Amino acid sequence: MEATRANPHFLVNRSRVRLFGLSFDDCIRVFFGGNAVVSIIVLGLITFFLFREGSGFFGQNRQNLIVYRQAGLEYVDFIRAQQDDHTALTRYLSDLRLRQFTYATEHAPMSVAAANASLARFDDFAGQFGDTVEPLRTLVSDLTEQASAIKTKFTVMEDKKEERRQLLDEGRAGDAAKVVITPVDFAAELKPILGTLPAYRAASAEFAQGLERVLATAPTLPTPELQARMDRFKLHTRDYLAGFPAVTTQLEAWDYTKPVPASQAFTSFIFGREWLTASFWQDWYGVIPLVVGSLMVSLVALLLAVPLGVGAAVYVNQIATPAEQKFIKPCIEFISAIPSVVLGFFGIAILGQALRALSQVSWLSWVPGFPYSERLNILTAGCLLALIAVPTIFTLAEDALNNVPRAFKEASFALGATRLQTVIKIIVPASLSGIISAVLLGLGRVIGETMVVLLCAGNRIAIPDFTAGLAVITQPVHTMTGIIAQEMGEVVQGSIHYRALFVVGMLLFFLSLGINYVAQRIVRRYRISIG
Amino acid sequence: MSTPTPSHVFQANLTPARRRESLIFGLFGGATYLVLLCGALVFGTIIFKGAGTVFQAKAPFINTSFLLDAPESLHVFQFEGKKMELGDRAFRLFQAEHPEVAKLKQESYIYSAGGIFPCIVGTLLLVVGSMTIALTLGVSAAIYLNEYARDGMFIRFIRLAILNLAGVPSIVFGLFGFGMFVIFFGWNVSLIAGWFTLAFMVLPVVITASEESLKAVPKGFREGSLALGATKWQTIRKNVLPYALPGILTSSILGIARVAGETAPIMFTAAYVVRDKLPWQVDKFSDFFFQGVMALPYHIYVVSSKIPQNEYTERVQYGTAFVFLVLVAMIATTSIILRNHLRNRYKW
Amino acid sequence: MVTTAPILMDTRPVAPASTFRPTTTTPAAAGPGAQAAPAETLIDIDHVDFFYGATQALHDVSLRIENRKVTAFIGPSGCGKSTLLRCLNRMNDLIDGTRIAKGSIRIRGVDIHQHDVDVIELRKQVGMVFQKSNPFPKSIYENITYGLRLQGVNNKARLDEVVEKSLRGAALWDEVKDRLDASGLGLSGGQQQRLCIARAIAVEPEVILMDEPCSALDPVATAKVEELIQELRTRFTIVIVTHNMQQAARCSDKTAFFYMGKLIEYADTRDIFTKPANAQTEAYVSGRFG
Repeated sequence: MEATRANPHFLVNRSRVRLFGLSFDDCIRVFFGGNAVVSIIVLGLITFFLFREGSGFFGQNRQNLIVYRQAGLEYVDFIRAQQDDHTALTRYLSDLRLRQFTYATEHAPMSVAAANASLARFDDFAGQFGDTVEPLRTLVSDLTEQASAIKTKFTVMEDKKEERRQLLDEGRAGDAAKVVITPVDFAAELKPILGTLPAYRAASAEFAQGLERVLATAPTLPTPELQARMDRFKLHTRDYLAGFPAVTTQLEAWDYTKPVPASQAFTSFIFGREWLTASFWQDWYGVIPLVVGSLMVSLVALLLAVPLGVGAAVYVNQIATPAEQKFIKPCIEFISAIPSVVLGFFGIAILGQALRALSQVSWLSWVPGFPYSERLNILTAGCLLALIAVPTIFTLAEDALNNVPRAFKEASFALGATRLQTVIKIIVPASLSGIISAVLLGLGRVIGETMVVLLCAGNRIAIPDFTAGLAVITQPVHTMTGIIAQEMGEVVQGSIHYRALFVVGMLLFFLSLGINYVAQRIVRRYRISIG
Repeated sequence: MSTPTPSHVFQANLTPARRRESLIFGLFGGATYLVLLCGALVFGTIIFKGAGTVFQAKAPFINTSFLLDAPESLHVFQFEGKKMELGDRAFRLFQAEHPEVAKLKQESYIYSAGGIFPCIVGTLLLVVGSMTIALTLGVSAAIYLNEYARDGMFIRFIRLAILNLAGVPSIVFGLFGFGMFVIFFGWNVSLIAGWFTLAFMVLPVVITASEESLKAVPKGFREGSLALGATKWQTIRKNVLPYALPGILTSSILGIARVAGETAPIMFTAAYVVRDKLPWQVDKFSDFFFQGVMALPYHIYVVSSKIPQNEYTERVQYGTAFVFLVLVAMIATTSIILRNHLRNRYKW
Repeated sequence: MVTTAPILMDTRPVAPASTFRPTTTTPAAAGPGAQAAPAETLIDIDHVDFFYGATQALHDVSLRIENRKVTAFIGPSGCGKSTLLRCLNRMNDLIDGTRIAKGSIRIRGVDIHQHDVDVIELRKQVGMVFQKSNPFPKSIYENITYGLRLQGVNNKARLDEVVEKSLRGAALWDEVKDRLDASGLGLSGGQQQRLCIARAIAVEPEVILMDEPCSALDPVATAKVEELIQELRTRFTIVIVTHNMQQAARCSDKTAFFYMGKLIEYADTRDIFTKPANAQTEAYVSGRFG
C-alpha cells in the first residue's frame, strides 16, 4: 500500500464490500448465471417428471399382460379371433351384395324391390353363411363370462391387498388383519375353461362342416367381375378353414404359467396396434394407432404447407417488390399468431362442413375418397395444421434464402441467366439445407400441435384403413397429442392408463427433440459449406 | 410460327423460357397470396360472425353483458305461442312468475347465455403472471449469456437446452406442469401452476428475443462506459439495458400472444371448465394463487367440443372466438408495429 | 537486442519536436514549462509477453512512459500497439483467453495486474478514447457527467461546472453550449470524437489512452483533435496509437515503433523521424513498408 500512499491521486487498491467472498458485481453475475441455468434445469425437470410419472407404466403393463394370460383371457381371445375372422368374411359378403344391388339398379334397370328380389338367393346364402358360426359364438360367450369372473376375482384381491396396505400405513393393524384376502388359485379357476377343449373341437368341427356345406351352395353371379369377387371370397373362406387346426394347436399348447417377458410390456406398447381403455374385457395400450394418426395428419399438413411456405418464401425473397414484402411479411406473422384453438373451432364450425360439401360436388367425385361423410378427419385437421406450419416454414426458409450471399446471384445474372434459372439453379440449392431444416421444424410444430387435432381429427382410435388408397385421408384418426389432452382429465392418478399417457408424452418429447436435433445438424453443416 | 426478326441484338422478346419464367413466378406469387387468403378467411369468418354477438345496433354499441357477465345456461321453449330464449337467471325469475313453465317442453344449452367475463379475467391473470416470471428469468438469462458468459462447454450446453426447449410441444409442457406443480408440489389446478407452466414454455422465446436486442447494442457503449470506470453492472444497467429494453419488450409481446393463445398447457394445470367465483373473491390472500380460473382459449375448446352446434349456441361460440382472436391480434399488431417503429428509430 | 538501446536513451531530457508541429500549436502547449519539467516515469512496462489464447501478441516489450508527455505508438497493422494500449487500462480483460504471461506493467509503482488492484479504480485513472467515436445515445450533458454520476456525484452545480470545464478542455464548448440537452449522436464525427475526449477528461484521469482517435475523421476534424491533444498534454499523460506517421510526428513527444509484436525502437519523436537507430524503423517512417 505504500505506493498508493505515496500517490494519493492514484488509488487503485480500494477494497469493495464483499459478501461470502463475492463483490457486489460477482453477486449479480451469479444471479444472472443462475437464471441462465434455469433453461437446463427446466429441460431436466421435464425429462425427470415425465419419467417419474411414466416409468411405472411398463411394470403395470406387464402385470396387465400377466393377468390377461393367467385369467385365461388370452385363451378365450384365440377362439374369439377365429370368430372375428368369420365376421370379416360376412362383411365381405355384404359388400358383395351392395355391388350386385348397384349393378342391378344401374346396369339392368330394375326397381329397388325387383333388385332385392333378384338377390334373394344370394341373401339366403349369406344368411346361412352367417349362421354357421353359431356353435362357436355360444362357446365364446360362455368362456368370456368365466374368464371375466376370474379376472374380477383377481382385481378384488388386489383391491383388498391395497386396502390392507393402506390400513397398515395408517397404523391400524387390527383393521388390516380383518381384511380377508382370498388368493386366486388360477390353476383351479382355469380348469373349467380348459375343460371346454373337447367342446371347442366339436364346435369347431361343426362350424367347419357348416362352412363347407354352405360354400357348396354359393350362387353364380351375373357378371365376370362380380363372379371373380365371389371366387375370391371362396378362396378366402378356404384359407380360413385351413387355419382351424392351427387354432386348435394354439389352444392345446396354451399354458397359463408361461412367463410374460419384461420386454413384452414395452413391445406391446410400441408395436401394439390397439389403444383400448376402460374396456370390460382387456385394456390395450398400443401406441401405433396414435403414432400413425399423428404422422398421417402431419404428412397431409406438410404436403400442403411445404409448397405454399417455400413458394411464398421464394416469392417474397426473390420476386416480390419491396412494397409487397412489407405487406406480406407482417401478414404471415399475423397468421402465426392465430391461436390454434381458434383454428380448431374454425375447423369444427366451418371448414369440416365446407370440405364435406365440396367432396359431395358430383364433378369432383374422381378425387380419391370423395364423397365422404365424416366431417372431422385427417384432411380437415391437415388443412388447418398446414396453416400453422406455413408461417414457421416461411420464416425459416426466407431466412435461409436471405443468407445466400448476394455475390452468387450477381454472378449468375452476369452470366446471362434469367431470374428463374438463378432461383432454381443457384439460390434454392445454396439454401437447400436451410429449407430442409425449416421443413423439419415445421414438422415438429405440427406433430406437437394439440388443439387442432383434438377438435378436428375425428378422434377415432384405430389405424386408418390403408387399403382405401389415397382415400385414407378422409378417415378420422386420433393423435398422440390429442389423446393426452382428451384423456388426461379423466384418468385416475397413478393408474396404468394415467401412466400410459405420460409415456405417450415422453414419446412426443423425444420425438420433438430428435426432430430438433436433426434440423440443427443440417443447418450447422450448411453454414460450414457456405463459409 | 416464326418470330419477328429483332431490330437489334438485345431486342426483348417473349421466348418460351421467359413465358415459363413468368408462369412459375406467377405460381409462387399465387402460393403466397393463397396463404394470405386462407388467413384472411379465418379472420373474416370469425370476425363477421362474432361481431353480431359482441356489437349491437343501439348504444353503447358494444354488448356489455356478453363481455361483463358470467356464462349461463340458455333455456329455449315455446310460451303462449312465442319462442322464448332466456338465460338461467332470467329463466328462474320467469318461472317464479309463471309456474306452469316447468311443465313445458324446453331445451337447454349450457354456457350459451350470459357472457365470458370470468374467462377474460382469467386469461389476463394468466398472461400477466406468466410473463412476469418469464421476463424476469428470460431477460436475466439473456444478460448472462450476452454480457457475462465466456464461450465454453457450459454455455454451449445452455444454448443447446434453450434451442431444444423451444421445440418441445406445448402439451408436453402441460404434462410436465401437471406432474410437477399440480401433483408433486401439490398446488392442484391453480393460477400459480399455470403461471409457471406457461412461463417455462415461453422462456426460450423471451431469452432469444432478449439476447438479440442486447446484441444490437453496439460494443462501443460498453467499452466507453467501462473505460470511464464503470463496473460491469453499472455499464449494463445504465448503458446497455435502457437501449435494449424496448427491443426486449417488443419481441416479448409475441411471447405474450403465445401465452394467451395456448390451450394445451393450461388444460390440466390452471383452467376450470366453469367457476362461479371471480378470482378476487377469495377468503384469504394466499388462496388467490391456488385457485383455478376460467380462460378464454379453454372456454373456446369447451364450447366448441362439448355443446352441440346450432343457432342458439353459435352466439357464444363465435362471440368467444371473436373476443379471443381480437385480443391476440391486438397484441400481435402492437408488437409488429412497435418493432418496425423501433427499427427505424434506433440506428447507431 | 535492438530494443535495449532506445530504452537506455529515454532518460535524457527531451525537448518538444517543435519543428514537426503544425503552426497552430498554442503557446501554452509548447511553452517553456513543458520543456523544463524533468522527465518522470509514470508507466513502467517491464518485459511484457502477452497472449490471445495461444497466439503471442507481444514479445518481451519494455518501455517507460513519461508523465505529462504525449507518447505515440506506431507500426503496421497487427503489430501489437493497440494490444499494449489496451493493457494499460486492462480493457483486454474483456476479451476471452487473454493473459500476460510474463512481465508487469506498473503505474506509479503499482503493478496493475496485481490481484488486489481494483480494475474499476484503475480505469477511472486511465481513461480511453476509442478508434470509432462512441458517444452514448444520451444528451451531451449526460455523456459528460456519466463518469461522475457513476462515482456518486449528483451535485448539480458541480456537474455543470465539470461539463463546461471538460467541454472547454475538449474545445467543444463554443460549438455545443446552446444544445447541451441534444443527443450526442447528433454531432458530426469530429465533434463526437471530441465529445468522447471531453467525457474522458471529465473524470480527471491521470492518463488518457487514445486508440487511433482520428482514423475515422476527415482532415479538418483531425486537425482539431490534434490541436486538442496539444492542449491536453499539460494536464494529462497521453498515449496515442496511430497509423498516421505525420500525426505521430506532429503531436507526440516520444514515439515507440512496434513490429510483429516487438518494440523495435523507442525514442524522442524527433530522433525517430530524423535519425532512426534501427533499419526497420527507418524503412517504416520513410514509407517503404507498412
